[in-house]
Amino acid sequence: MAAINPEFGKELNRYGAFDFNACYNCGTCTAVCSLSTEEDSFPREMVRFSVLGMKDEIKSSLKPWLCYYCGECSTNCPQEANPGELMMSLRRWLTTEYDWTKLSGLLYRSLPLTIIGFIIIAIGVLIFSALENFNLQSIMHIGHFFEIIAIASVFGFILLPNIIRMWWLIIMKPRIKVPLMKYITGFGELIVHMFTQKRSLGCDNNQLRWFEHFILVIGYLGLLFTTVFLDWFSNDNLFVIVLGYIMSIIIFIVTIDFMSDRIKKQKEMSKFSQPSDWMFVVWLFLMGLTAFIVRLFIDTGLIEQNIWLYLFHLTILVQWALIIVPFGKWTHFLYRSFAMYFAKIKSQ
Amino acid sequence: MPEKIINASYDALVIGGGIAGGEAALNLANNGFKVLIVEKDLSIGGKMILLSKVFPTLDCSACITTPKVSEISRHKDITIFTESEVKYIVKTGEKSFNAQVIRNPRYVITEDCTGCQLCEQACPVIVSDQYQYNLVGRKAAFIPFSIASPRVAAIDIENCTLCGACEKVCPTKCIDFSQEIQEYDLEIKTVVIATGFKLFDPLLIPRYGYGIYKNIITSMQMERQLAPTRPFNTILRPGDGKVPDRIAYVLCTGSRDVTVGNPICSQICCMYSIKQAQLLMGALPMADVTIYYINIRSFGKGFEEFYDQAKGMGVNFVKGKIGKIREKDNGDLIMRYEDINENVVKEAEHDMVVLSVGVLPNTDSASLFTDGELKLDPFSFVFQSDPLASPAKTSIEGVFVAGTATGPMDIPDSILSAGAASSEAMSYLIRK
Repeated sequence: MAAINPEFGKELNRYGAFDFNACYNCGTCTAVCSLSTEEDSFPREMVRFSVLGMKDEIKSSLKPWLCYYCGECSTNCPQEANPGELMMSLRRWLTTEYDWTKLSGLLYRSLPLTIIGFIIIAIGVLIFSALENFNLQSIMHIGHFFEIIAIASVFGFILLPNIIRMWWLIIMKPRIKVPLMKYITGFGELIVHMFTQKRSLGCDNNQLRWFEHFILVIGYLGLLFTTVFLDWFSNDNLFVIVLGYIMSIIIFIVTIDFMSDRIKKQKEMSKFSQPSDWMFVVWLFLMGLTAFIVRLFIDTGLIEQNIWLYLFHLTILVQWALIIVPFGKWTHFLYRSFAMYFAKIKSQ
Repeated sequence: MPEKIINASYDALVIGGGIAGGEAALNLANNGFKVLIVEKDLSIGGKMILLSKVFPTLDCSACITTPKVSEISRHKDITIFTESEVKYIVKTGEKSFNAQVIRNPRYVITEDCTGCQLCEQACPVIVSDQYQYNLVGRKAAFIPFSIASPRVAAIDIENCTLCGACEKVCPTKCIDFSQEIQEYDLEIKTVVIATGFKLFDPLLIPRYGYGIYKNIITSMQMERQLAPTRPFNTILRPGDGKVPDRIAYVLCTGSRDVTVGNPICSQICCMYSIKQAQLLMGALPMADVTIYYINIRSFGKGFEEFYDQAKGMGVNFVKGKIGKIREKDNGDLIMRYEDINENVVKEAEHDMVVLSVGVLPNTDSASLFTDGELKLDPFSFVFQSDPLASPAKTSIEGVFVAGTATGPMDIPDSILSAGAASSEAMSYLIRK
């Protein structure tokens, strides 16, 4: 039996959690959750762990990642303990626990620090452009290389070590024996979940949201592929140009819908937005929109007179690649997919 | 149009003719005070007269209520206005209130009716019977229920087709469609509020499917099925008339639940559910009874033993609140809940579900006094200005409160509370 740590509640509150101490353990949240199963029953257990401050149990649990926040638990909670938002906060907290740099924790907890980070990057982009004498050709060329290097280094130095830490917390530390074969046979699960997030279809009335998410992932990965590997901005192939347009349109249309949900706050999952949630969706939107306009300006020959537009796009891109992807909400997408994978190889 | 304004005066006005109001009226009248009971329903006796048995003694509820009700109705110093409402009360001075009361027409001359039920047989209109909590039907010309007081007919004018069939068969010619609302202008010295409580309406929790799934009933409907004057003479599930084998109770339906606006414990549901479970074990010896609970609150005298007795009889207690209910094709119900002792979400099948509905305030009492003088507590029950030393006192001097008008409580507590209210009222009346 672990020692009780009431201070943990205060720590979690900084990640967005509400008054989960109000919970009187009726289990309504678990019973109304359509993803809760006999093998994996949540969220009440997580509420209990949070109330008691049982950090180790939370760290070794995959349950926060099994939740897709339909919000039924919060809507029906008789004590208004808001278990749905607690699960979201636990995901944020776990992200910082997996992160060896601990930067994500700082950014989740402090909005000013996050803003400073964004400003530093914007200044950096400007200095770099000044060093290049605002020559569009060379900035675009280096910008393209930056993308490749950023992806490789963020993945190699931050995300990969973090996933190994997650694996250690979930499989190795609790001494779960997993034969090597299962790592290989379960790999399909990882790919399927990464691309489809199909588990969220289990949430009631979630088909439209799942579909939006799905095409957003396709749009995002498609745009990444088009710009990085096909070098969209410098490519003359008509097919590639049209492909990039379609992908960027998908991104900004879907993100507009997600932003309007967060403004309207009618759905339970859109009621409580943390700065990290807003940044994720707004930057994604700006990326899609600016990429679209940049290519449009290239095609209409306006880009030479409007180099600032490309610089704006580049700033957004660098902020996205250096802050949101390694330390922000983007990682949820990665950890969630790995959580499904670990759940699969742990089972049976 | 009101027939006429009638002036009268009483020592005490008791609002509500349930067990608390009746007890308070009886205490006052036995000490020589002239009492008027104003009851909005067609009969006095309140909810208690409709119950099966009481916990934890398993005494017959009607057998306790009916002698009391008959004592009240025969008392020389008690006047009863059924089907009546207090419009408003104004405090005019020390030991002086002016009350405006209206008496709705029953369309039957109460004094002449013998309760022969010929009108009931003749009436062609059938509507659902509110005194059997809609389990069966009744006529538009009807006697409210067999142990009603007064046990005289009434015409349900909203559903009546004015065919005149009842008038033709009535042997005493007591049916009078020309009756109108009567207004009373009363001088009163003290007021006792005993307006009781309302039951939670489970339609407000759609995920339980009450009103859609036929085999889900409320605890009050089960109470009627178990009462001596029960409609079916056995226990039947309403969907297809089958005798149920696996009965489930859902505790805290509409209590301790902020989402339905009632965060407090109703105090009686645990015990009445345990009582019904024991009665069901007697009525249907082969049936399984399961009670799904958050916490069993058996706090009163003899309650814990009563709970143990139910467990000993084989009632199955499961810790976990029901999250959702869905219906199978055969009318059986699948309940989804988390078994709190095992931390695991489970589904269980039952063929009849009883929702143990909670106690809600009767907010009508707020409008009794002009200018909002009568304060309510944060949960809309009548505010007790001195709950520890003088629990019957309200925010108005000379106005006292009895029973569940102050908050959820069981029958013995209601009677105690009525005793306190009547004592307070008497000491107010005789104080110099």
